[in-house]
Amino acid sequence: MKKKINWAPAFFVGPHVILFAVFILLPTIYGIYASFTKWNLMSDPVWVGFDNYKAILFDGKSTFHTQFFRGLKNTLIFVGLSVPLLIVIPLMVAVALEHKKVKMKSLIQSILYIPGLISISAAALIWLLIFNKQLGITGNLFGSQIAWPANQPYAWIIIIVITLWGGIGGNMIIYRASLSGVAQELYESAELDGAGSIKRFTSITLPSIRFPLIYTFVMTTAGAFNVFGQPLMMTDGGPRQSTHVLMMYIRQLAFGNGESIAGMASAMAVLLGLVILVISALQYYVMNRNAT
Amino acid sequence: MSNQAVNGLDNRPVVNRPGKVKGSSNISISKYVSYTFLIILCVIWIIPVIFGISTSFRSQTEVVSSGFRLFPETWVFENYVTILNNTSTAPILRWLGNSLFIATSHTILVVIVISITGFGYTRINFKGRDTLFFTLLGISFFPGVVNLIPSYKIIDSFGWVNTSWAMIIPGLAGMGNIFLVRQFMNGIPKELDESAKVDGASDFRIFAQIILPLVKPILIVCGLFSFTGSWNDFLWPVIVYTDVDKMPVTAGLLLLQDIYGNYRMIGQLMGSAILAIIPTLLLFIFAQKYFVQSINLNSGIKG
Repeated sequence: MKKKINWAPAFFVGPHVILFAVFILLPTIYGIYASFTKWNLMSDPVWVGFDNYKAILFDGKSTFHTQFFRGLKNTLIFVGLSVPLLIVIPLMVAVALEHKKVKMKSLIQSILYIPGLISISAAALIWLLIFNKQLGITGNLFGSQIAWPANQPYAWIIIIVITLWGGIGGNMIIYRASLSGVAQELYESAELDGAGSIKRFTSITLPSIRFPLIYTFVMTTAGAFNVFGQPLMMTDGGPRQSTHVLMMYIRQLAFGNGESIAGMASAMAVLLGLVILVISALQYYVMNRNAT
Repeated sequence: MSNQAVNGLDNRPVVNRPGKVKGSSNISISKYVSYTFLIILCVIWIIPVIFGISTSFRSQTEVVSSGFRLFPETWVFENYVTILNNTSTAPILRWLGNSLFIATSHTILVVIVISITGFGYTRINFKGRDTLFFTLLGISFFPGVVNLIPSYKIIDSFGWVNTSWAMIIPGLAGMGNIFLVRQFMNGIPKELDESAKVDGASDFRIFAQIILPLVKPILIVCGLFSFTGSWNDFLWPVIVYTDVDKMPVTAGLLLLQDIYGNYRMIGQLMGSAILAIIPTLLLFIFAQKYFVQSINLNSGIKG
């Protein structure tokens, strides 16, 4: 006797599995494959083995070598500058907002959250005006005679400022939600024992929100490695490519003017992906171990 | 005062401070520290928005001649008139329309896909269901930068370059929202649908009439974040769109610095930026509680 076929899995799970296969699985595999090829996005990729990786990693004379390491260095600078602030400032805000006597909590929270809903291209237009030498706030109020986007360290400062402006809201809400779950009795009994604010913060608050801290730290770092819009809009990679991050090189090689060098760009993308994976794993491992 | 305030942070035991009522001084000092910090931050955070809005209402001559002012001497609308009349090099209304169409369609489809798929992974029994789910979840953790270039190639082979499909469809493949919906549906007692099943209800009826109404909160949240995410996406539209008439507003704004001459037409630049901000801002004002509650659900699951 023939068994009746059950169509329910195909109906409920099938559509997404197809979407996943076409738009995530296939491009990921193809991206890894393309990194071993010479490819201009138009004709078929030609297998070249490890040539792209050799050029990027070891060939000191190759422009791809210089671009990759400059891009990686600049990306690491961005990660190093932005991630600690993207954790610490939201945490300080969340702790300050937990204070019993602070009023208008939701208004403050909204003001700090809203920039996160503004696209980088709109935000950058406004911030570039603020940092404009003749017309902006830095020039007129603080008398700065320097063109910020064209000089270091100002170029990094404006990139970090716009990143913080749009980036603290998400983590702030996660920390607020986690802090409100910490039992008040813990604080009260610690206070009776004479523990000061800092002591209470390090011995009660931080351990209680350990998981959200690890989670936000790993996610914020991985996100920061993909930085693209802020340097593109604020400095266009300048001055002298000192803020030209890896994503900008990858996009430039694959989709820039002239013939596409998509194979090389794919190899850089795979290397960046590996860096992100290794660092995420390392962070998770170290933080999880230290915390227990 | 600021020095004292900083010392207040470490809050030595109150008994060591003679002449003060226990607790109250601590609380008031830390209150001032908290307030000072929050107010400074809020001022810095809100000034760009005010500055952008007010500059968009200043005339070009006023901006150039009188330099920085927080508010205009005279409020003018000429910048907005210019922006809205420029339908050739910077058709901002078109861009806004494109963005609205893309973000709305994407959001509707996201909600449909994640609710159906979430139901499949929690209520439909088939062999290897959980293995399939966790395999896909694991693969999706692989950094997206790797699939960026081939994604373009796939979109291109579908003929979707310079069309809205390029931004509406690929994002539906994501696993994040499905993970959340699956968690949420797992929290709904199975007895509810099992009794309906005994009464002879089909899977689809159970989905539509029992489960769907119960998961509405998480669907609203995922929908809101899909909308704002789609509206603000930048890297992908910059790659996919070259046709000025077809692009969403985020990609369009990138062109403006050239069109409105490197900050020679400041009012126009600011006006365009403000127009691009308004939709998500309105969404936040009307759905604020969901934006904030969302993460509660989120961290509740993870914590």
